[in-house]
Amino acid sequence: MKAFHHYNARSIDQALSLIKDHDGQARFIAGGTDLLGVLKDDILPRYPLAIINIKTIPGLDEIEEKKDGTITIGALSKLAHVAGSPVIQKHLPALVEAAQAVATPEIRNMGTIGGNLCQDTRCWYYRYPHQMGGRIQCFRKGKGPCLALKGDNRYHSIAGGKGCVAVCPSDTAIALVALDARIVIIGPQGEREIPIMDFYTNMGTILKPDEILKTIIIPPVLAESKQIFLKFTLRKPIDFAVVSVASLIKEEDGMCTDVRIALGAVAPTPVRAYSAEDMLRGNSIDTALAEEAAQQAVKGFKPLSMNAYKIEITKTLIKRSLVQ
Amino acid sequence: MDKKTKQEDPQEIEIIVNNIPYSLTIGIHPDQVGPSDTLAKTLRETLGLTGTKVGCDQGSCGACTVIMDGLPILSCLTLTIECDGRHITTIEGLQEPKTGKLDPLQQSFIDHTAFQCGFCTPGMIMASRALLDNNPSPKTHEVKEALSGHFCRCISHYHVLDAVLSASKKGG
Repeated sequence: MKAFHHYNARSIDQALSLIKDHDGQARFIAGGTDLLGVLKDDILPRYPLAIINIKTIPGLDEIEEKKDGTITIGALSKLAHVAGSPVIQKHLPALVEAAQAVATPEIRNMGTIGGNLCQDTRCWYYRYPHQMGGRIQCFRKGKGPCLALKGDNRYHSIAGGKGCVAVCPSDTAIALVALDARIVIIGPQGEREIPIMDFYTNMGTILKPDEILKTIIIPPVLAESKQIFLKFTLRKPIDFAVVSVASLIKEEDGMCTDVRIALGAVAPTPVRAYSAEDMLRGNSIDTALAEEAAQQAVKGFKPLSMNAYKIEITKTLIKRSLVQ
Repeated sequence: MDKKTKQEDPQEIEIIVNNIPYSLTIGIHPDQVGPSDTLAKTLRETLGLTGTKVGCDQGSCGACTVIMDGLPILSCLTLTIECDGRHITTIEGLQEPKTGKLDPLQQSFIDHTAFQCGFCTPGMIMASRALLDNNPSPKTHEVKEALSGHFCRCISHYHVLDAVLSASKKGG
């Protein structure tokens, strides 16, 4: 790994002032499990001059349940801590499943939920190591076309993409979309709170280099709702999702009164299957309806040359999440 | 730049490896630790503890696993400069320092021939050690889960499972 300066930030203010000093040529580090891979492979258009450790900022790793049922998770909470938290286990089983599905036990001891939400894509053209025969340029790196469009795109988007068809690799993001979470970002202009769906763009996240993801807020979950997170991978540990699905279903007297379905690794951002949700609301969910809803969810998806199989997996996961 | 240098971290850190404290100076000389040095590099190249292996150097293989403050972590994805004051146990720290007697888990790996080339073994043993420290009688699926981030290209996985379960029964 090439050299850089290193700073331990003791407060958010100090972290923000340190990053300002470096004119965008610095990066924040939390768990580091994604960033150090990115730095080792030297894929960033500009290698950072400095790394600013935010793990040393106290108070950003707490999980709290408010009186009204809202749950807040500090972005520096380790994934293992999130999955093992009694509060999360009691109210947010989908998030437990998603956090538990990330990588390996060692990485879950190191990686944070904030980092899981902010991680860079795993597209193999984008992540191609610089030291192995030179840099591969691509649309996401700011030079040339997206190589996956004509190349090997078996793990890429089946729902299009503007310029780049790499998918959002986060597991916890998908569960949090189904849970209708909001996130708090802090930067030089102060704090702002946005729905998690607005956090993602075609090219990653809206987080600017001088901003920190601070807290995740999950509103009180629908009482007696059923939550499910399913992830399809080629091997169980370590792998990123080929497709993931998170569903939250509320039923009364056998009738679905509310439902949210989130799809992961199918597009550059998490996807909400709104039209499938509309079909389910007000009906009793059986296998036939689940099948129809799954079909509806993938309507309009356009697979690339090598990934039509992901559509079948998406439909199957949606069905399984609805009628288990 | 002066201002920035002043804000930079202290130029010395202390890490406790296998109960021995090491003071390390941050810098660019061979006996110093660079800010971008990983813990795996420091253990192997600065402290000479080459028992910890680096396989993929990307967090995918588990070979570089060490125990930090009771939890298994990947030393290839940890910056040494961020380990100030941490307690680290490596494979070298498992045997009795005075008698040289192996940890029961190490002995069990030998008894069950739970390796062929042995490259992944230190990582596997450290992850198993952390598991048994936190959960002395794990069930089969718990051992599998704890070792799910470890890859053995010689395919000794079932022998490893037997070795860990057997060591756990002996109270290892």
